[in-house]
Amino acid sequence: MAKILIDKKEIEAKEGANLLQVCLKNGFYIPNLCHLEGMDSPPASCRLCFVEIEEEDGPVTSCSVTVRAGLKVTTDTPPVRRLQRSALKLLLSAHDVDCARCPANKKCGLQTIARFLKVGLKPKQLEQLRKETEGMEDHPFLRYDPNRCVLCGRCLQVCHGKQGQPFLTFAKRGFDTVIASYGEKDLSNTTYQEFTACAQACPVAALGPKND
Amino acid sequence: MSETTKTTNEEILAEEKAMLEDIAARLSGFARERANLVPLLQMIQERHGYLPPDAINMVAEYLEIASCEVYGVATFYNQFRFTPPGKHQIKICLGTACHVKGGDIILENFERKLEIREGEITPDREFGIDRVACVGCCALAPVATVDESVQGHMAPSKVEGIILGFQIEKEREAREKQKDDAGEK
Amino acid sequence: MTPEKNKNLDQMFTAIQEKAARHADSITEDPAPKIYIGMATCGLASGALETKKAFEEALSLRNIQARILQVGCMGHCYGEPLVTVHNPGFPPILYHQVTPGKATMLVKSFLEEGDPLFEYLLGAMEENDLIPQVWDFARFSQEKRVVTEICGFINPEEILDYIAMGGYSSLAETLRLEPHDIINQVKNSGLRGRGGAGFPTGKKWELAKDARGQEKTVILNADEGDPGAYMDRTILESNPHQVLEGIAICAYAVGARKAILYVRSEYPLAVKVVTRAIEQAKELGLLGKGILGTSFDLDISVFQGSGAFVCGEETALIQSIEGQRGMPQLRPPYPVQKGLWGNPTVINNVKTFASVPPILKHGEFWYRQIGTEGSTGTAIFSVVGDILHAGLVEIPMGVPLRTLIFDICGGIPNKRTFKAVQVGGPSGGCLPADFLDTPIDFDSLTEAGAMMGSGGMVVMDEDTCMVDVARYFLDFTQKESCGKCTFCRIGTRHLLNLLERITKGEGREGDLELLEDLSQDIRDGSLCGLGKTAPNPVLTSLKYFRDEYVAHVKEKRCPAGVCRALTAYYIDLEKCARGCDACVGSCPVEAIFTTKNRKKGIDQTLCVKCGECVTACPAEYDAVRKVSPPERAPIVERPADISD
Repeated sequence: MAKILIDKKEIEAKEGANLLQVCLKNGFYIPNLCHLEGMDSPPASCRLCFVEIEEEDGPVTSCSVTVRAGLKVTTDTPPVRRLQRSALKLLLSAHDVDCARCPANKKCGLQTIARFLKVGLKPKQLEQLRKETEGMEDHPFLRYDPNRCVLCGRCLQVCHGKQGQPFLTFAKRGFDTVIASYGEKDLSNTTYQEFTACAQACPVAALGPKND
Repeated sequence: MSETTKTTNEEILAEEKAMLEDIAARLSGFARERANLVPLLQMIQERHGYLPPDAINMVAEYLEIASCEVYGVATFYNQFRFTPPGKHQIKICLGTACHVKGGDIILENFERKLEIREGEITPDREFGIDRVACVGCCALAPVATVDESVQGHMAPSKVEGIILGFQIEKEREAREKQKDDAGEK
Repeated sequence: MTPEKNKNLDQMFTAIQEKAARHADSITEDPAPKIYIGMATCGLASGALETKKAFEEALSLRNIQARILQVGCMGHCYGEPLVTVHNPGFPPILYHQVTPGKATMLVKSFLEEGDPLFEYLLGAMEENDLIPQVWDFARFSQEKRVVTEICGFINPEEILDYIAMGGYSSLAETLRLEPHDIINQVKNSGLRGRGGAGFPTGKKWELAKDARGQEKTVILNADEGDPGAYMDRTILESNPHQVLEGIAICAYAVGARKAILYVRSEYPLAVKVVTRAIEQAKELGLLGKGILGTSFDLDISVFQGSGAFVCGEETALIQSIEGQRGMPQLRPPYPVQKGLWGNPTVINNVKTFASVPPILKHGEFWYRQIGTEGSTGTAIFSVVGDILHAGLVEIPMGVPLRTLIFDICGGIPNKRTFKAVQVGGPSGGCLPADFLDTPIDFDSLTEAGAMMGSGGMVVMDEDTCMVDVARYFLDFTQKESCGKCTFCRIGTRHLLNLLERITKGEGREGDLELLEDLSQDIRDGSLCGLGKTAPNPVLTSLKYFRDEYVAHVKEKRCPAGVCRALTAYYIDLEKCARGCDACVGSCPVEAIFTTKNRKKGIDQTLCVKCGECVTACPAEYDAVRKVSPPERAPIVERPADISD
């Protein structure tokens, strides 16, 4: 076990443990979207879980830090909040904010983080961006809204069919990146339950069962 | 449906069949390992100019991975197309040097002349236009590549010449074919 | 290694060198005239094939025995097609822009009649009494060629050419030494990676050597994606063996038995040339199994990159070889610890590997003497854009930008003035004239707000709009963003949209501040180097050319007259010649009409602002004007009905 300081409070944690998880388990909330417990290598892609670490330059994402003795972590410095708010506003600018009609309303990852960071759900400075790509119209069980999706990739982490093969993927690139299914073969080996499990991993209800 | 489009559709179907047979025959030249995914897609792209949906499934089956993974990888890279290219593919370089020297004006001229946008092909499948990031001939900017040949120091006035050149060539071929046909009879 | 094995190695390498010497002698001793034609991509694009054909036809027509030899690129791209003619009795002479017509004349006048055609030559390649040497010109004399020393002088498809010039002797020497000796030499030379970041090469190799792992791999990063840079391509096309030799030395030093050359598929000739080079080296026992009779094996193969700029980033590059989407991964672990298939992997740039054989040949101290304390050796730039002598230039580190741009490359053509130089591509920055005295080295360029990058340098004259240039780069990075992390995926799209709005004259109060804030957040918050550096073109141009942004936003004016929504062309009726129709045919959209008094006017609603009419208007009239904002163009009415 290693002793570390989080916001000046001494915490004991396993050497080499994931700092984001250690923070969350000890009651220090850090905004995050792409992290799932038990992943071997964090994608570090949502860019929300910033903290500052003494003797390191500027904020770093806590999901990419492993615990070592003597680590001194601060979770709420102005630079940390600035980057977190900026990342959240960017995500919201590409998100179809229509909470009243969204199945994720009141349990949505973005709502939680916005409340915590005191950011309005419709930031004014940034214009709204929309993708022109379609969802998965031809999928028998799943519906997908690319303009709700935050591309955290959590669905891909849990999406494995019977033979361990994924039935969803990231497709395209850059701003146009979407979650996609492809080909009939992918469906035959997969049960309805497996599809819904994968939809449940979505923090913003971009992915859901068709009858949702 | 007019007579000509009917033949074109039949031609396309026949082409696709031949294409898939060709791909099937070549798969075995590659070891069944994930590292060969991109090389396999490149082989298909190079031989046929694009990746038809069936080809993606064939590659997935051969490598024993999900076809959605193949699709995910293929859509990530600029090299791969998912629709057939034009017979003559025109690529306008929009690297930095070409941009500074007016590469976008060259692109626009091709688009206007052929009445298609970048990424599209003409209805007769003769021409297609793409933009490319840099072909590495910056000292000759602005540059366009027409099929395999690099055209340096492009100017809007050269655009017309290039397209006209192909049209004249095509007409000449048609005339010769007619002559040959007549000769055979 | 035992002396017995060394003996074996010496015998084998001496035999190869003797073979190469005989090959070289067969050319030099041949009494026939020799014609060397540069046939790398830029030469071919300028018509080298047609030139070669013209030589062949003229030679056979006149029944002259001469040898045509294919060589790579010397980097003097402004002069392509470049041809060196060595006619016995004369020094070898370099000719530039050798069109088929000139080729025919050279055969007739020079080879047949002995007149070297002074009007076409660039200079002699050797000292002589007759013709000025090319080495008297700054474009040649101020270069310091280490990596490109023999590029353009040898046939890249003939390994014996390279060996006859001393090639592969560093590899032979390496195999006599212990790996740590090699690493120490590279460390002491001060060589830093030429891919952009400038990480010390010896240090990287040491980390890889000490890393635990079975199948260590060496990867050549030739995924040169920076739009405006092509030196890696040229080196691979012109002297592939120097790169292969460097890779083999590295593999021996770090204990790798596998090497992969990652080359852009957009470079088909480079792929072809290196593939051939690998075969030739294997045939001679310089690569492959049991290199030069030792127990050192190196399995070497080519992997073609599929066109994703982000794959220049080493973790993304590894992903793409593994058959995945080329998305950067979190570092650490670094590839030297855990790279391809989880094994320690060294990834270096073309120029880095190509620097190694000369370092080992001439010694670490020789290399340290070139360049500066912190950045030893040479820098290779592709200097393009508004520059007289565009092409590849290799200079010692520390040379000021001014010397490179004005002395070596001849400055700005067409009587224009210098405005800015873009160094380091999409990750770099635009530096104004005040920075011309900045020395070219890793640290000074970074300090100035640009970066060495992979060596792209685009020179811009007064007719360049810096807002448009920033927009161009953001358009590029935005398209090439892998889409993984929030800042790069969404942030660069906002930057691009803002810049597009500004260049269209739709900029608003507060846009510049938003650009700045967002740029800083993207720089500080992105996952990989591509995202972190993507805002650089915006940040530097905002810093050095802010007044231009302000003119676009507040006055809806493009000072350089580039942004098409903010400019208009009109015809100065005072200057337009009555009855002249020169511009009419040039207009692609029939926007030019004839006025009542038979002069010309431009229909602003049709005009696409391509500028063809400016080129078409005869110089003695010079009647077409460009103005910004467009409202400044006087309105000329199209006559109601001119056909009657």
